[in-house]
Amino acid sequence: METRKEKTKRIFGQILEPFALGLLALLFILPAITVINLTPITNELKKLNVLGVTTQGDVVINLVGGSHEIFTEEILNKIDDEGYDYSVRLNKRGADSYSKPILKIENRTEEAAKIFFFGQTLTNTNSTISMIIDKEHFMIQNSKGETFDNEIEILPGQNITLFLALENLSGIQFSEIFDLSIKIR
Amino acid sequence: MSKLLKRALKISLTPAILMVAGKFLGILIPTLMFDIEFAVQNEMIGISSIQILYPNSATTLFINSISNLVMLVLIAVPTIYLIIKTSLYQSTLQNPRTIVKITKLNILNWITKKNSSFLQIFIWSSFLLVTASIIIVHTIQNMTYTWIGVSSGVMAFFCIWGTMRTFELEIAKIYPEEKNYY
Repeated sequence: METRKEKTKRIFGQILEPFALGLLALLFILPAITVINLTPITNELKKLNVLGVTTQGDVVINLVGGSHEIFTEEILNKIDDEGYDYSVRLNKRGADSYSKPILKIENRTEEAAKIFFFGQTLTNTNSTISMIIDKEHFMIQNSKGETFDNEIEILPGQNITLFLALENLSGIQFSEIFDLSIKIR
Repeated sequence: MSKLLKRALKISLTPAILMVAGKFLGILIPTLMFDIEFAVQNEMIGISSIQILYPNSATTLFINSISNLVMLVLIAVPTIYLIIKTSLYQSTLQNPRTIVKITKLNILNWITKKNSSFLQIFIWSSFLLVTASIIIVHTIQNMTYTWIGVSSGVMAFFCIWGTMRTFELEIAKIYPEEKNYY
């Protein structure tokens, strides 16, 4: 005759059995995953990311993101080791000035990095587009549709935020795409 | 819970720990020994959440090869030891010549039934197979020296063969071949 204690022990053992099997399987799977995780990689492989990209010289570019009524559909793409494309949709708007932080750039190298940027809209809507970095304005496209190349220097360890500024004297009824090319040297 | 499962869990702990420890030490020791620059990054890339970064591909290849070799040795040596020990033990039961040879070599105390069973060999061989698979995949991906990949493949093959041989010997104890009776 099975005692109460023996019965409890038997039932408890039966309940535990599938968990023990799972644990046994985990004892094989977990070391394998850990070993794969510990496999070293070359620093260059890190540059394969598209958003929040790290360059060869460890100049990190990140999208600030967030939502804005005028600036939407922000995309940051890596073109090659030194080149990136940023694009944003500028929605229809009234006559006013608008700005939004778009990119964060961090120089993690021990040398100063030069950033070149050039941008334009596909259609001219008589808007003035500029970049604001540390309260300094850099003209990208004037109201006549003329574009300007710009260059800034980021010191080692410096962290900057790029603001895209938009100004138009009359209301704009259609949205447009603004493309910005960034080169790091 | 069955005794077999309890025993399997108990046996599996050591190779599981050794596998991870081997890989970790295989990365740590050459890195410190040769004063190699490295960085650790936490980013979700597939199933990998941590990345150990080295400045160039030659260094990465070297560190990965050494760590794989250390891991393989830590798993393969006990597995081979268990297989040889059990095979010799089984052989001594059937063949008096083996006993004579073992006595001459003065390793009679070494050949005991203690701490060696088919289950233990099977589990250690399974871990060796997992280790060899990882190393072979790394070799195909050019992330490990070819000779390490080939060595792991050969070791895995012999350990599987050894495990099967042990299994046959264990089965022969339960179901002896007819010719042994005549």
